[in-house]
Amino acid sequence: MIGKMIIANVLHRPIRTIVSILAVAIEVGMVLLVVGMTTGMLSQAAARIQGVGADVMVQPSGASLFLGVSAAPMPIKIADLIEQLPHVQAVAPVLLQFNTSGTGGLNLVYGIDPKTFAKVSGGFVFYSGGPLRNPWDVLVDDFYARSKRVKVGDTINLLGHDFHIAGVVEHGKGARLFIPLKTAQDMSGSKNRASIFFVKCTDVGYTDSVLAAVKKLLPDHNVLSVREYMSMMTSNNLPELSDFVTVMIGIAVGIGFLVIFLSMYTTITERTREIGILKSLGASKAYVINAILQEAGLMCIIGIAVGIGGTIGLKILIESNFPTIPVNLTVLWVIRAGALAIGGGLIGSFYPALRAARLDPIDALGYE
Amino acid sequence: MDPIIATEDLKKIYRLGKVDTPALRGVTLQIQDGEFAAIVGPSGCGKSTLLYLLGGLASPTSGRIFVDGNEYSSMTDAERTRFRRHKVGFVFQRFNLLPTLTARGNIALAQAIHDHGYDPHRFQSVTEMLGIGAKLDHRPFALSGGEQQRVAIARAVVCEPKILLADEPTGNLDSGNSQLVLNMLRTLNRSLHQTILMITHNPEAAAISDRIIHMRDGLVIED
Repeated sequence: MIGKMIIANVLHRPIRTIVSILAVAIEVGMVLLVVGMTTGMLSQAAARIQGVGADVMVQPSGASLFLGVSAAPMPIKIADLIEQLPHVQAVAPVLLQFNTSGTGGLNLVYGIDPKTFAKVSGGFVFYSGGPLRNPWDVLVDDFYARSKRVKVGDTINLLGHDFHIAGVVEHGKGARLFIPLKTAQDMSGSKNRASIFFVKCTDVGYTDSVLAAVKKLLPDHNVLSVREYMSMMTSNNLPELSDFVTVMIGIAVGIGFLVIFLSMYTTITERTREIGILKSLGASKAYVINAILQEAGLMCIIGIAVGIGGTIGLKILIESNFPTIPVNLTVLWVIRAGALAIGGGLIGSFYPALRAARLDPIDALGYE
Repeated sequence: MDPIIATEDLKKIYRLGKVDTPALRGVTLQIQDGEFAAIVGPSGCGKSTLLYLLGGLASPTSGRIFVDGNEYSSMTDAERTRFRRHKVGFVFQRFNLLPTLTARGNIALAQAIHDHGYDPHRFQSVTEMLGIGAKLDHRPFALSGGEQQRVAIARAVVCEPKILLADEPTGNLDSGNSQLVLNMLRTLNRSLHQTILMITHNPEAAAISDRIIHMRDGLVIED
């Protein structure tokens, strides 16, 4: 019977119910999208690094897992020293640059030496056009070309300079944009320097020994196997990102909490007389609290379902319109987002429920 | 035989800010099991306060209340609630039906709160006796005042309470419906031996009861 009463109450005020459900849905959607986009972009970035084909990465000391947010670049002659180590097949120096001009958004640009980069990566797969030939040539990957609607022969502005698109290549080779290493060095004033060295072993089985040898050779540098890098590319290992995700989740849960609180608080005020009736029938405090918490819980559950459905829709929409923005939805985070929404909703409705349970039955029955 | 309701020097004082307003000044009365009593008196004489105290909706400032052998003053709020659930039925002037539920839902809710759950046999016998069988799937707004009050009476008696407390049950009804509701109460009293204590302004309504108790200024002045 309590279930019928709750459903009747929920249907009796459709606008209030819809607003509450939408608030919970937004909360769930925000949590899933923030986490999904963060983890999606991290895992995609990690996958791109893996796609370079290297086994070991060498960065300056103090370099971030966010490639490009690094300390001063290293002398390029280090590549020759690494190359002489046993079981090293090739070393590709890359100068990383963050581009904020012209294309809209933030892009990581690889300044590459096409020859060594091809040795490590196995070479680009060209969808159209050809390799870098001139200083102001740029290669873009297919995701970038699709999302920015550019093609071979177009001109794009990078790092404050116009570049000619020489080729569109398959995604997954570290960055989405590639310019000649020398051009990148000249533009950044880092002559004969590189931000990162990608090291390819003669066999993947030699990774650990090459890693040890490079660490011995360059004790002050940040030397990682690509396998380690992949495992470290989670928001937990990136404190700023982890804080950002936590803050965004906090805001989302706060929105859900406040809306449910307000919704149930106004409901209690509006239904004061009805609560008086329940009490006159002998309903205990626990019964009244239970009824209100169940009503809030029902709205939360519907809101969670709407939020999950909406997020799946948004994921499809985002990924089809912005291929460079992946959204990772995991069952674990769907459960977590649902639990946060339920928890926030129940906490938000607890005070109104307690207030209802404490209402004086005579005052409540006389409420106009 | 012990009375089913007994009060001893019952007092209730409401405090509004710093002003004490006595509603009951020492009421002593007894109602026997199966009796149909009416309390009459002018507005503000303390009738409703007495009814709420007897129903356990409020606690007295002093004095004692015995209902079915149980004394309220020794009960906690939760115990009084439980006692009300099992022993007391209320009928109000404004019907006080839940607007979101049908007549069926309003009556069944009382059974659900009562712990023993839905009793279809009792439900059917009560709704048939009160003549609302055809209106059970209507919501309160789709019922006339008389029908709403009959649903409210059904809700009050469906759990077989020891006492039925009716607060101006005909106050919002026209004369035809008033008579109908009073006849229902009379029938309940006669056929089910239901103890009824009814508050009313209406001398005709009071006349249907076995006993009329007059109150004024928080005291019983004539019985």
